[in-house]
Amino acid sequence: MEFNAFFLNFLTGLQLGAIYALIALGLTLIFGTLGVVNFAHGALYMIAAYAAVLISRSMGFTYAIFIVPALLFLVGLLMERGLIRWFYDRPHTDQILVTFGLAIVIEEALKWIFGANNIPFALPSWGSGQVLFYGLGATVPEAIPGLRIPMPGIEGFTFFPFWRLLLIGVSAIVVLGLFVLLQFTRFGLVVRAGMRDPQMVSHLGINVTQKFAIVFGLAAAIAGVAGVFGGPVTQVSPTVGLAYLVPSFLVVVIGGMGSLLGALVAAVLLGMASAFTTGFAALAVDPFMKGFLTALQQIVVYLVAVVVLLVRPRGLFGKKGVFE
Amino acid sequence: MTKDIRRPTRRGLLTAGAVGAAALSAPSFFIKGAWAQEKAIGNFPRATEGSSIKFGFVLPQTGAYADEGADELRAYQLAVKHLNEGFDFDSIISDSGLSGSGVLGKKVEYVVGDDQTNPDAARQVSQRMIERDGVIMFSGGSSSATAVANQYLAQEKGVIFMNGLTHSNDTTGKDRRRYGFRHFFNAYMSGIALGPIIAESYGKDRRAYHLTADYTWGHTQYESMKASTEDQGWTTVNNIMTPLGAPDFSQYLTQVLNSDADVVILNHYGKDMVNSLTQAVQFGMRDLQKNGKDFQIVVPLYSELMAEGAGDNIEGVYGTTNWNEKLPDAGTKAFVDAFVADYDRPPSQAAQTAYVQTLLYASAAERAGTFYPPEVIKALEDFEFTGIGSEGPMLYRGADHQCFHDVLVVQGKPPSERADQHDLLEIVKVVPRADIEYDPALPAFGGEQADLGPYEPA
Amino acid sequence: MSDVAKPVYAGADERGGRAGMWNGRGRDLVVVAIIGMVTFTMPLWLVELGGYEALATKIVIWAIFALGFDLLLGFTGLLSFGHAAFFGTAAYITGLSLKHFSSDVIPAMAFAFVGTLLVALFIGFLTLRRTGIYFSILTLAFAEMIHALVLSSTLQRWTGGDNGLTGLHYPTLLGMNLRGIAVFYFCAVILVIMFLVAQFLKRSPFGLMLRSIKENPMRLEYTGINVWAYKMMAFLISAMYAGLAGSLMVIYEPYVATKFLHWSTSGEVVIATVIGGASTLIGPMIGAAFLMYFENVVQGMIGEQWRLILGLIFAAIVIFLPGGLIDIWRVVWRATGHKLLHGRRHNVPDMELTEPRHTDPRP
Repeated sequence: MEFNAFFLNFLTGLQLGAIYALIALGLTLIFGTLGVVNFAHGALYMIAAYAAVLISRSMGFTYAIFIVPALLFLVGLLMERGLIRWFYDRPHTDQILVTFGLAIVIEEALKWIFGANNIPFALPSWGSGQVLFYGLGATVPEAIPGLRIPMPGIEGFTFFPFWRLLLIGVSAIVVLGLFVLLQFTRFGLVVRAGMRDPQMVSHLGINVTQKFAIVFGLAAAIAGVAGVFGGPVTQVSPTVGLAYLVPSFLVVVIGGMGSLLGALVAAVLLGMASAFTTGFAALAVDPFMKGFLTALQQIVVYLVAVVVLLVRPRGLFGKKGVFE
Repeated sequence: MTKDIRRPTRRGLLTAGAVGAAALSAPSFFIKGAWAQEKAIGNFPRATEGSSIKFGFVLPQTGAYADEGADELRAYQLAVKHLNEGFDFDSIISDSGLSGSGVLGKKVEYVVGDDQTNPDAARQVSQRMIERDGVIMFSGGSSSATAVANQYLAQEKGVIFMNGLTHSNDTTGKDRRRYGFRHFFNAYMSGIALGPIIAESYGKDRRAYHLTADYTWGHTQYESMKASTEDQGWTTVNNIMTPLGAPDFSQYLTQVLNSDADVVILNHYGKDMVNSLTQAVQFGMRDLQKNGKDFQIVVPLYSELMAEGAGDNIEGVYGTTNWNEKLPDAGTKAFVDAFVADYDRPPSQAAQTAYVQTLLYASAAERAGTFYPPEVIKALEDFEFTGIGSEGPMLYRGADHQCFHDVLVVQGKPPSERADQHDLLEIVKVVPRADIEYDPALPAFGGEQADLGPYEPA
Repeated sequence: MSDVAKPVYAGADERGGRAGMWNGRGRDLVVVAIIGMVTFTMPLWLVELGGYEALATKIVIWAIFALGFDLLLGFTGLLSFGHAAFFGTAAYITGLSLKHFSSDVIPAMAFAFVGTLLVALFIGFLTLRRTGIYFSILTLAFAEMIHALVLSSTLQRWTGGDNGLTGLHYPTLLGMNLRGIAVFYFCAVILVIMFLVAQFLKRSPFGLMLRSIKENPMRLEYTGINVWAYKMMAFLISAMYAGLAGSLMVIYEPYVATKFLHWSTSGEVVIATVIGGASTLIGPMIGAAFLMYFENVVQGMIGEQWRLILGLIFAAIVIFLPGGLIDIWRVVWRATGHKLLHGRRHNVPDMELTEPRHTDPRP
């Protein structure tokens, strides 16, 4: 694989991973703190995407960036107080079933209101266009618009959509923000302690329940960010939530239940695995090899999950005794 | 002794206690006085003895294709209304024999079921309609997999199935069935129709990269586009299979960017098409120059309903459709006017094929003078007619049950030229029936082995 | 046998020890008789409820599937998200045999049995060392891999891709045609036999061991019992039930859909089992019947919004009937002023029992 191809596949892997990460982070946060398997998390992403497209049409995309995560925070709080909190002590199968039921209801309700087809979600004008990467000594035609970044090793020039690079950036900022919040604030300290031993924390006179409701809201708000920035990429339709549910669960499990770092690493791992197997399948000339790689490309995310879990029984960064 | 027995007989025997043996010993058919030569097949004559008959409409009401299902249903309801209350049938199908007071004097009723665009669910729903509701004909569907599944069921049960939206060669190719009929065009026809026009407009020395949905329809679409573009002198650079229903195509589009191709052909349908097309535009493929030429995107099969979801991205993109509401013929006008009057929106090609299929069945029954399936099938086979959507005569070919009519090459309209939200496609060329006819024994259609099966199901 | 359970493992079975026919085996016989009667007369009464003969067959097949799933989830506490792998593998093998080998169902079912056993051994061997949600996701991953491979262009020549496997011979049994109502009775007989087997397993020392594993695998491990081997047995038995159901599905409808391998099939059997009432054997069969009836009959009555209603029903059942649909009788019993004869049973599955959740063993 030449460097140009490698570089593009690498960026693609990062971008695929960025969406997985944004959805999986919330999931694993809910797992880790509340002990709830939330099958409706994909549906939260979907609600965010619908809200984002409606707000960006009526008020402008910039508003969506601020309103949608806040809105989803409220949706999350509502969901936790109205439904999820009754399920903390229930078996995971019940949690899965009730959230899966909720996911179906949300999907069908959105279909009822907006129809089953895609709703076009155009990029804001400042977000469209390409970023050009050019090698040393290469001349880039003047006619091509877009940001230019020198990149040693590139032959001639190549480019990648600006929006997808932005998505990678947004994902990185969210991860960083979450890390700071949990690591360096009092709130984070309580949440982390609550993840370890909720009883002890409540004995200390801290209102764990309230903190946990906020955690759920926070996880939903991250799905909100994913919906705003991922919506124009994945498009907005009632089936997109379910399409991301299974991969983001794989991410959470591969990373280790409740581990934020794990979710991040696993998301990038799955993104890279998808991008590079596709890249190799495209390069394959031998028909047998091509057939093999084409099949591999379809199952690679599952294969990664199997290999990781066989080598590391609790995922990459999972702790013993959590969700076993 | 293979015919499955019907409810009245069974219930009697059950009460008598002869439970297990019932199915194996019951008489396989009963003779009807008036139609002494006609055996009981499927729901005939059981379901035709009252004052009304039932049609079954099995279409997606949930899942990705629910909107197409909804449009099909509108058309079916309109067709039933017209059959019962009368319409200018001859503009749709010449010499249809339709009276406007039902079919063969029997009022038409209908039942609806959700196939979820899933062959297993489709067969379950169709079974319900055949067994419980006693439908004499069923119709619908929005994917080739459900179409094939339903056709086999139709053949097993002896109830005629009129296909809705199905574009795979297999439906009237290797999986053709005596009890299944398709009015919609197919992937092969799309290829023949589209090849010369894109070659003319984009040049003959193009290098094409294919992204293909990894399922039967995708494969046949890829094969036919490859063949027809290579006939025009194009080179096929590569083809990547993409999983059905992928929300993000960036890993595939990246490979296109990184090749020396100057055209990308998206052998995707429906939601996949909308997503891959939108994302191809995001990847800058419409502003790109490769090999000194403007990069181009082609989508062999358009769905108008879905194209709405692609917004402005369809501008200038070539594709094909079975029919379009702006065709000038009298049948199209009559149908579109009636549809708009009832639903306040123009019909899609899915609606058109659903409507025409219903009338074609009814007309065949009228012309045969009976609902006896083999006779109705014979009345449809090699039926030549004029009417909706074609300049010249159309043909329901007996050899493979494919209907031949003009098909359209279309191009996405730029937003500035659209009259309303439904006005998305510009007809570039009406490709006459003669240009897209082919030998039913082509290898792409199952070769010599492809067989419709018997008129009287075993 | 059930009496043995009581003193040792609370919640395993609290109903032993009472006199008369309601004791142990006597009551089991009554239950089997009732189930047999309900099953065999299904084509009669289902028609009155807006159903039809083919639906009765499908319900019976799914009841077998759910029954086997309950042996794993309800009794061993293992939540598999990949049972479609066994259902679908058996369906494809049965289909291939009917298409290429013989129309007789006996070789077809035998091949399917062996094939499913091999697949289950392979998957079980790799997944059963894992517990909880890790086990669930691993089984899901294996099932999805099989699904993707069957769909992919690479294997399409043999599997028919997304069109499914078509053009099968009509199944026969020793030269007799298996069609229509005959298929129903064929499946119904198998269901009753499989229920008897499940009931026997439940009452046997083996079943007792499974429930102990569910309660506390650690303790058993310490007493020197090979927990893994017991889990493997349960997994294989459950997979065999799924495979049997998959085979019957193709015999009932000579067509194999790729959906049989899809995760939604795994999901449906989880749903059927849980909404019916896991670890009760009867509950999952009721759950399967409810699900099939809803998806095929009620769907037609509601129209477009049927899935919305179904989602609400799932949620409502989980919220208001934690023991599943089978709990309805208990609710009714209580509402009519009766006192419950026994305490509420532990019929809710749990997969979180390896260790208490929030204890971190590290210093």
